[in-house]
Amino acid sequence: MNESKPGLTITSIALLVILFLQLPVIVVVLAAFSSTSYLTIPPQGLTLKWFAKVLSDPVYLDAIRISLTLAVGSTVVSLVLGVAAAYALFKRMLPGTEALTSFLMAPLILPSVVIGVALLQYYSLIGWRGSFAALLLAHVIITVPYIVRSALASLAGVDMSVEEAARVLGANGFTAFRLVTLPLIKPGLVAGALFAFVTSMENVPVTIFVASAKQTTLPILIFSSVEMGVDPSIAAVSTLLIVATVFVLWLAERWTGFHRFI
Amino acid sequence: MSSLKLDHLSKHYGEAVIVRDLSLEIANGEFVSLLGPSGCGKTTVLRMVAGLIAPTGGKITIGEREITVLPPNKRRIGLVFQSYALFPHLTVFENVAFGLRRQGVKGSELEKRVKDALALVRLDAFGDRYPRQMSGGQQQRVAMARAIAPRPDVLLFDEPLSNLDAKLRDEMQIELKRLQRELGITTLFVTHDQAEALSLSDRVCVMAHGNIEQFAAPEDIYHRPATAFVASFIGKPNRLAGKVASRNGAGGTVEIGGGVTLNADRLDVATGGEVELFLRQEAIELRTTPTEGPVNSIPGTVQLRSFSGAHVQYVVRIGANTEIVVEAPSSGAASNLEKDASVYLAVAPANVFALAAAEGARS
Amino acid sequence: MSNWKAGVLLFGPLALLLIGVFLVPVLLLAPTSFHEYAPGVGIVANSWTLENYARIVTDDYYREVVWRTLYLGLGVTVSCLLLGYPVAYLIVRGPARLRLPLTLLVIFPLMLNLVVRSFGWIALLSNRGLVNNFLIQTGLIGAPLKLMFNLTGLMIGMTHIYLPFMVLMLVAALQNVPRDVEAAAATLGSSRSHVFTSVTLPLTAPGIISGSILVFVLTISALVTPRMLGGPTYKVMATLIYDEYMQLLDWPSGSALSFSLTVIAIAIIWASSRITKRWAGMA
Repeated sequence: MNESKPGLTITSIALLVILFLQLPVIVVVLAAFSSTSYLTIPPQGLTLKWFAKVLSDPVYLDAIRISLTLAVGSTVVSLVLGVAAAYALFKRMLPGTEALTSFLMAPLILPSVVIGVALLQYYSLIGWRGSFAALLLAHVIITVPYIVRSALASLAGVDMSVEEAARVLGANGFTAFRLVTLPLIKPGLVAGALFAFVTSMENVPVTIFVASAKQTTLPILIFSSVEMGVDPSIAAVSTLLIVATVFVLWLAERWTGFHRFI
Repeated sequence: MSSLKLDHLSKHYGEAVIVRDLSLEIANGEFVSLLGPSGCGKTTVLRMVAGLIAPTGGKITIGEREITVLPPNKRRIGLVFQSYALFPHLTVFENVAFGLRRQGVKGSELEKRVKDALALVRLDAFGDRYPRQMSGGQQQRVAMARAIAPRPDVLLFDEPLSNLDAKLRDEMQIELKRLQRELGITTLFVTHDQAEALSLSDRVCVMAHGNIEQFAAPEDIYHRPATAFVASFIGKPNRLAGKVASRNGAGGTVEIGGGVTLNADRLDVATGGEVELFLRQEAIELRTTPTEGPVNSIPGTVQLRSFSGAHVQYVVRIGANTEIVVEAPSSGAASNLEKDASVYLAVAPANVFALAAAEGARS
Repeated sequence: MSNWKAGVLLFGPLALLLIGVFLVPVLLLAPTSFHEYAPGVGIVANSWTLENYARIVTDDYYREVVWRTLYLGLGVTVSCLLLGYPVAYLIVRGPARLRLPLTLLVIFPLMLNLVVRSFGWIALLSNRGLVNNFLIQTGLIGAPLKLMFNLTGLMIGMTHIYLPFMVLMLVAALQNVPRDVEAAAATLGSSRSHVFTSVTLPLTAPGIISGSILVFVLTISALVTPRMLGGPTYKVMATLIYDEYMQLLDWPSGSALSFSLTVIAIAIIWASSRITKRWAGMA
C-alpha cells in the first residue's frame, strides 16, 4: 500500500468537513421551500409562496436590479481599466513595476470596512454621497485587483513573441493586442471578471457606508432585514442567488474550463 | 525587393554595450547570416532591424527607405521566430492570412495568396488545422509561409531551426535555401550554428561582443579567418599554447613544448611572444610516414579511436604529453589505426592559426 | 520614449482612480482620527487630540473588543487549519477522480454570497434555529442552547466562511511536496505518522503560514458575519467601527479604530512576508 494515501480516519474527517461547508446552503434552500416560518427537521411542508412573495415585492426587485447594474457596471469598468494597467505593468512600460503592482493590490489588503468609512467621509466631504457613479467607482476599487491579478497571471502565460509576430506582420500595437494577445488571455480574464462580479454582488462593508437608502443592494437588504429576525423570504431570495451563482459558474466552466484558473 | 543597410548601428543598456557601431550592407536578394555565440548581439541586431528594439544610435535603411524609427508594422519585413510564434488560436490559413489582411487584401485575392504561400512550403492541405495539431517541422513551415505571404522587402530569421531535431534540421535547411533562392528576397539569418550559416549563406557575418569579427563568403570565413575569434569559433579547433620561435616573412615558427615546432603561413606576433594555436580536427591528416616539404609533420601515438559513422576521431599524443583530436574520414586510409600506433600529423602551414595569447583568451 | 508614453496612457486612468477614490480618502481618515468629538455637536473644529487612540488602549470596553477580535482571529485560524488539512490532504492524495468534485465543493461556498452563508448560520444557530429545534425535539436538551450573539456563534460561522481559503492554500502547498521525499523517508524506516510530522508537515509549513495569515487578517477585518451572528451587542473591531460611524456618528473614534485595525492587518502581513522570505533564503 502506498504510504502517503489518506487513511479511513482522514477521509471520514475530510468528508464531514466538506459536508459542514455545504450545511448553510442546504439549510437556506430547505428554509426557502418550507411552509413554516422557522425550520424543522423534517420540513413541515413544501411551498413556493416565499418565492412568489419575493418576486412580487418591489423592494426585492429593486435591490436585485441595483445589485446587477452595479456588478455588471463595475466589472466592465474594472476590466477596461484593469487590463490596460496590467498590460502596462507586464510590458514594464513604467519604472517601479513592483511598487505599482502592490499599489493596485492595496484595496485587497486594507480591511474593507476601512475603505468603507474612508469613502463615507470623503464622499460626504465632496458631496458625492448618494451618487450612483460614486458607488460604482467604489465597487471598481474593490473589484479591480482581481482583474489586474488574473490579467497579469494570464499575460505571464502568453509567449509574447506572438504579439511581436503580429506587429511585424503589419498590425499596430492595439490591433496586435486585440487580435492576438486578448484572445489568448481571455480565459483568465473571464475567471477574473467572474471574481470581480461576485465580489461586487456580495459586497456589504463598502456599500453599506456609501450607498444611499435608494441604492439598497440585495446583500444590504438581506443584511439589514436579518436584524428583524429570520424571514423565509430572505431564504427564498438567497436561494435565487445560489441558483444564479451555480448557473454563472456552470457557464464559466463551459466557456473557459474555469476551474483551471482557481 | 531591396537591399538592407545598417549604418553605425549600436545598442546600449546603461553601461552595457550589446551592439557596438555596427555597419553592414546586404545586397538585394542576398542571403547573409549573423553567426556568433549567444550574447554576441546578433539577435539584438535582428530585433533592431525588425523594429522590436529601438537602437541607441545609427541608421537602418531598406532600399531607399530609412526605417530606423518606424514601428514594426510599417517596415514591410518578414520575421521567422525561434519559437515560431504562431497564433495558437488561429488556423494555419488565418495565421498566413494575418499579414495580408493587415494590408487590406481580401476575398478571392486573399484566398489565392494564402494558398500560394502554403503551396510554397508544401502545406496546401493543412489550412484548416490549428498549430498545435502540427509537428515541429510543419509549424516551422507555417511560420515561413506566414512571413513570406505579405511579400516583405526583407526576410529575417531568428535561429529558426534550433528547435528541430538534427535530421529535420538538415531537411529544413535545404528547403529554406531553395525557397529563398526561388523568391530572391533579401535575407538576414541569425544563428549560432556554423554549419547552418556556412551552408545557407552567400556571405557570413561572424559577430562577437557586439562587433563584427569578419564579414565574408563562407569559404573565406572557413579558410581565411580574419581574427583570433573566428579561428577559434569556426570548425572544431584543437587549442594549444605556444611561443613564437622565429619569424619568416608573414609567417613563422611556433614551439609548443616537447621540442615540437609548427610552421604557420601567417603570424602577427613577434619572436618570443606567447601565442594560442588553433588546429582544426578536420584539417589534420594522419599518416604512417613522415611528410617532406613545407607541410608540418609531427610524430605522435594514437591514444583512443572513436567511430562515429562518416568520421573516425582519434586522440593522438604528441610532444610532451599534448593531446590532439583528429577527425579522419571513415572511408580514408587512416580509418583503422589501432591504439599505440605511431603516426605523423600532417598540417599545412595555411591551416595553423596562431594568435597572441591574450587576444585568444578573450573568446 | 514612446513606450513610456504608452505606459502612462494605459496605467494612468486606473492610477488616477485609485488615487482619487482610494488613497486620498484613506489618508483623509488620519486627520479625523486626531479630532475631538462632542456628542450632539460632531467633530470639534481645530481640536487636536490623541484621546481617540489612547482610549483604544486604556478604556476597558475598547480593550475587550480589540482582544476579542484578536483571539477570534486566532481561534478561527486554528480551527480552519485543523479542519482544512484533512480536506486538502484528501484532495491532493486521495483518488484522482474525486479531485475535481471535491475541489468544486470547497470552492462552491466561497462563490456564494457572504450574506447568504451567514444567513444560513442564523437559520441553524438561532434560539429557534435548526440545531436547537433538533436537540429539543430529540429531548437532548430542555432549553435552547445559546449559539449566537457570542463567541461560539462567531467561531462556527467564520470558520465556515474562511475554511475554503485555507483549504486552497494547503492544497497548493501539498502539491509542491515531492512524493519521492516522502517515499524516501518511508524506505528509511519512518512510520507513517513520522513521515507526516518529519517530512510532509515541515514542507507544507510555508502554505500553512500563508493560509493562516490570510484567514487571520480576513477574520479580524470582517464586518458582515460578526454583525449578523454577533448582533448589535457582541462586538468586534469592524462592527464597532460600523456602529461608531453609522449609529453614534463618532467619526473621530471610528477612524482611530479603523487606523488601528489597518495597522494590525498590515503589520501581520508584513511580518509574515519577512518570515517566509527568511525561510525561502534558508532552503
